Amino acid sequence: MRITTSISEGGKMTELKVTSTLDTSGKCCPMPMVETNKAMRVLAAGDILEIIATDPGTRNDIPSWCERTGNHLLETREDDKVYRYYVSKN
Amino acid sequence: MKSMAIVVRDDSYDKILTPLAFAYLQAAEGVEINMLFVNWAVRALTETGAGEMKIQGDHADQDAWVREQVARAGLPVEIYDIIKALKSTGNVNLYACSLAAAIFEVDEDNLIPEAEGIIGASWFLNEKAAHADHYQYF
Repeated sequence: MRITTSISEGGKMTELKVTSTLDTSGKCCPMPMVETNKAMRVLAAGDILEIIATDPGTRNDIPSWCERTGNHLLETREDDKVYRYYVSKN
Repeated sequence: MKSMAIVVRDDSYDKILTPLAFAYLQAAEGVEINMLFVNWAVRALTETGAGEMKIQGDHADQDAWVREQVARAGLPVEIYDIIKALKSTGNVNLYACSLAAAIFEVDEDNLIPEAEGIIGASWFLNEKAAHADHYQYF
């Protein structure tokens, strides 16, 4: 099921379609990154993965992982210690 | 990073979690991991040894609490189950040091099938550690 959400891009709201959501709430390193790698593997190029996390380590881990793997971090949100990352597969 | 070599010495439950977690993290990303288990830690490569690992020393009385926290973190609680999870990535090789195996009674009969075998440290240091992009010792 595709879920639609909006991100701010260059001052205007852009709609993006989330292909799948990975909820790692409550889990800690290494599991969010292990599960992110697994989830990304089954997606196609251009698909968008929403990652929900509560491990504060993901604030560094996800952006640096995106940089290393060539995946594109579209948006990061934080609300009451819950982090949401929107990653487009390279 | 394409490859990482890890030498594991400590066999207490809490202390072996870190090298296993680091290995899992990098293996999931496609990094080749080669782990050498030395000293008491070689027993982690036997079903009995992995099952008997517990927290030692000052924190011995917190064993159950740590296991609950590990479960909450999303990792398998049993060391052998973590080893199986590592192997499921297809990127982890587990080696038992031959000296440690001789001293701590690990042989081909009690070695878990997930392990690659009992090897000489010289081979590991020269063929795996020396060629790895990153090397860690726990």
